[in-house]
Amino acid sequence: MKANPLTLAEGDELPVLHLEPGLGQVIRYCALQWAFPAFFYDIEAAKAQGMPGTLVPGPYKVGLLYRAVDEWLGEAGWIRQVRAAHRRPDLTGRPIDIAGRVARVYEEGGTKRADLELAVINERGEPSVRGFAVVEFNG
Amino acid sequence: MPDQSLLTDEVRALVGREMVMGDVHVTPRAVKRAIEVYTGVVPKSLPAEGEDVPGYAIAAFEGDYEGQPLPSLMPNSLLIANEWSFERPLRMGETLTAVHVVASITERFGGRFGYSIDTRTETQYKDGDGNVVARSGFTMTQYSAADAREGGGG
Repeated sequence: MKANPLTLAEGDELPVLHLEPGLGQVIRYCALQWAFPAFFYDIEAAKAQGMPGTLVPGPYKVGLLYRAVDEWLGEAGWIRQVRAAHRRPDLTGRPIDIAGRVARVYEEGGTKRADLELAVINERGEPSVRGFAVVEFNG
Repeated sequence: MPDQSLLTDEVRALVGREMVMGDVHVTPRAVKRAIEVYTGVVPKSLPAEGEDVPGYAIAAFEGDYEGQPLPSLMPNSLLIANEWSFERPLRMGETLTAVHVVASITERFGGRFGYSIDTRTETQYKDGDGNVVARSGFTMTQYSAADAREGGGG
């Protein structure tokens, strides 16, 4: 379901975005950043650091939160802020869900805005990221 | 836990320090690559010059420059939070100036990392009038793994 600023209410849930970030996506992200810590793409390097596998980069996950909000928001507005608080690592090739709900609907600066609570949930049902976003609806 | 605070006057003096890194450009290539990285889809079309682009584009700038070096005060470090914020959408074709800022350095006692030092840095992207258009922030914690509980960041 897409965001509808006319009917939006606190407690509304965003559609869950199911993802499985793979090694290819992570390598593209490293290339975009031009940063290549080996534990993001080399399983032996990851194991040498005590990790069970290659990791989804933490900074990448703020963009995945952004995507979940963007797909829900569509043309109804734009994203003013998205924030990720990292709780535990996610491994590449493992499913994650991005869930969210509307925490507050309000007006500021003459525009309608909403605060969103977000989370990345791993396959064990644990939150790996707690997130937050602010969206502004088009007039 | 150290016998005394590691936040010396020298470390505290870093807070608020700004470093102009240089210009970044919202180009079709940067926007296309950023969309592909986050959605897994190569966009069939892109916004025209002057039109709004998805905020993902900010990630394409992050590799352009190195921020200010920060002192290594504890044996381990970890990203605990990061964020993007926008005062307005980025626009195709615009040029912004990137400024790196040390926003805060604080110490924490207890919690999952034991004694730890959190450093929040921010890259601000400013337009030609000096107005901040967007920010990308990172909070890193420095800690001693020997004192930390299980868990961790990203």
